[in-house]
Amino acid sequence: MLDLLRSSALRLALTFAFATIVATTAIFGLVYLQIRAADEKSNRLILEDEAAKSIDHPVEELRRAFELRLTHGLRRLDFAALFTPDRKAMFGNIEELPAIPLDGESHYAASRAPGTDRTEPAIFVARVRPDGTIMVLGRSLLETYAFRRIVLTALATGLAPMLLLALAIGAFMTRRASRRLTGIHETIARIMKGDMQLRLPVRSRRDAIDMLSRDVNLMLDEINRLLAQIKGVSDNIAHDLRSPLAVVHAQLERGVESSDEQVLRRVAHQALAHIDKAMLTVAALLRLADVEYGPKSSKFQPIDLSAICADLFEFFEPLATSKSINMALEIQSPVQILGDGDLMREAVSNLIGNAIKFTPEHGTVRVSVTLEDGRPVIRVRDNGIGVEPAERDKIFQRFYRTASGHRVPGSGLGLSIAAAIANLHDLELRFEDNHPGALFELSGRRDYPQDTRN
Amino acid sequence: MTKTTPPHPPTILLVEDEKDLANEIKTELERLGYHVQTASIAEAADAARVGDAAILVMDRMVFGEDSLNTLEVLRKEGVKVPVLMISALSSIDERVRGLKAGGDDYLTKPFAMIELTARVEALLRRLDDVRTTKLRVGDLEMDLIEHTVRRGDGKIDLLPREFKLLEYFLRHPGQVITRAMLLRDVWQYHFSLETNVVDVHISNLRKKIDARGAPSLIVNIRGAGFMLSADA
Repeated sequence: MLDLLRSSALRLALTFAFATIVATTAIFGLVYLQIRAADEKSNRLILEDEAAKSIDHPVEELRRAFELRLTHGLRRLDFAALFTPDRKAMFGNIEELPAIPLDGESHYAASRAPGTDRTEPAIFVARVRPDGTIMVLGRSLLETYAFRRIVLTALATGLAPMLLLALAIGAFMTRRASRRLTGIHETIARIMKGDMQLRLPVRSRRDAIDMLSRDVNLMLDEINRLLAQIKGVSDNIAHDLRSPLAVVHAQLERGVESSDEQVLRRVAHQALAHIDKAMLTVAALLRLADVEYGPKSSKFQPIDLSAICADLFEFFEPLATSKSINMALEIQSPVQILGDGDLMREAVSNLIGNAIKFTPEHGTVRVSVTLEDGRPVIRVRDNGIGVEPAERDKIFQRFYRTASGHRVPGSGLGLSIAAAIANLHDLELRFEDNHPGALFELSGRRDYPQDTRN
Repeated sequence: MTKTTPPHPPTILLVEDEKDLANEIKTELERLGYHVQTASIAEAADAARVGDAAILVMDRMVFGEDSLNTLEVLRKEGVKVPVLMISALSSIDERVRGLKAGGDDYLTKPFAMIELTARVEALLRRLDDVRTTKLRVGDLEMDLIEHTVRRGDGKIDLLPREFKLLEYFLRHPGQVITRAMLLRDVWQYHFSLETNVVDVHISNLRKKIDARGAPSLIVNIRGAGFMLSADA
């Protein structure tokens, strides 16, 4: 893993160096070509201009002018000569007429330096004078070539340090990146060994690695929170199962030691009741895990919350009546959502069951189903004992039972299950004070999809 | 209708790899007068094919093998024996899968023994369930076509759900009916409730159908549920 990271950092550095070199070379090349073109153009213009100007001079004057120019290097003419119409040299420093068109334009041609066999590159202009003689002016390119070489050398000399610099920066970045990655790698290794409080280093500069580290840290926070929650849950399970088990154990012991069959029978019944309670808890826990972590139900289809609530209302009403509690139902036209009817029934039944459980005689439990701004809203309110402000955050936690609710039987998982089911349906379950009593609202989240209605 | 003990007790084939649990189930069902045989999946399937089993009670996972596959094969072959699945897999999707594969009932561990025996009896009795238009226990009579209930000469007015509830009892006289069975079959609620709503419904029904001063037709079975006394 680390090797891979290292090599990828190295690759990055090399790519950087390569890109720098390509860009620099391109700029240098462009500069060189521009300089070269400008130089060449000025050479040609000078030659053609000279040729045009001297075309009408008498022969003698021309000879003097040639000598003057060749010796004094005025406007840097290297070659000048006059040829007879049958192309024989009259004077000047060119022995043979170069093989170029006689059109007064500049052309490349090799020239032989006077008195030697060496040829050198040059540009020439040849023109036919009014008297039929041919005037040839030329300029050696040796100097131009030398100039070009100097420019090239200068550019190349500049490129080498550039290359070294790019490589050095690349190597530096590679080392720094790999050092940071190594640091992260080692931190993660320590976290995996169980040091869950460790976090990845995040600098203030917030580059990509920092952002990534920050995300990983947030993820670790979440994992820690979940671990703590799981630990809390196991503690709760241990407590919730241990106490009935301890009681059952004590009861059975007492029963075994008693010789009275009547006592044994009573003890067995009590033990059964406690075991039933423990089984209820286990079943509720499994149910919760199933809703929370199981695969999303494949049975999602359009369901009508109004119909579900009306049905549950009818189901619970006799229970309320038996406790002298009033029940009221307020239902809008069908409120359709995509969901699992069985699960929604379970969630709402937990809310209504709770409301009846915690409302004293002659209280009222109201159930309403409405569509508000396209969001489905189910409200179950009662005017019972309500929830103490200090306990409001905790009621959705597993096994939490309010101080006042502790005497009422139950697994303490009903609201957790309802909340988990709500979550599965993109709904949220919230508590509000009903002044007095409790109001549980099961409603579409703010970004609830609008067109779930078919 | 009177409860008669058949001359040959029905054979229940039990496929369960947890030995203690298998023993408990066997003992309990034998106590109720059934003949119980423990078997492997293959043995149970063979017995079902030749009609040697009145009912199969199968754990979903036996020695790491999913018994649902065998059940599916049996159903394809046209074997109609009632099957009660027992499973530690509790999710609704798993339950639906079990029923789709051909299970007649699905019981999730942990369960109370009375829940299992009640389901077994319900499945066994379903066999004698004939199409009838009138159900009767003692002088209580339900007319399924006219949707009326009479006790003796008096007509009894029932709410639609109360009617369904009573019908369920009348269809299972003398049998233990658990709260979970009522929730599932009368209300179609596939979850457990921590409140005693069902008891309230039963007590309301009793008030309507019971004669003044006479013992109730529907009796409580401690730790289990209810039973419509068949000899009333």
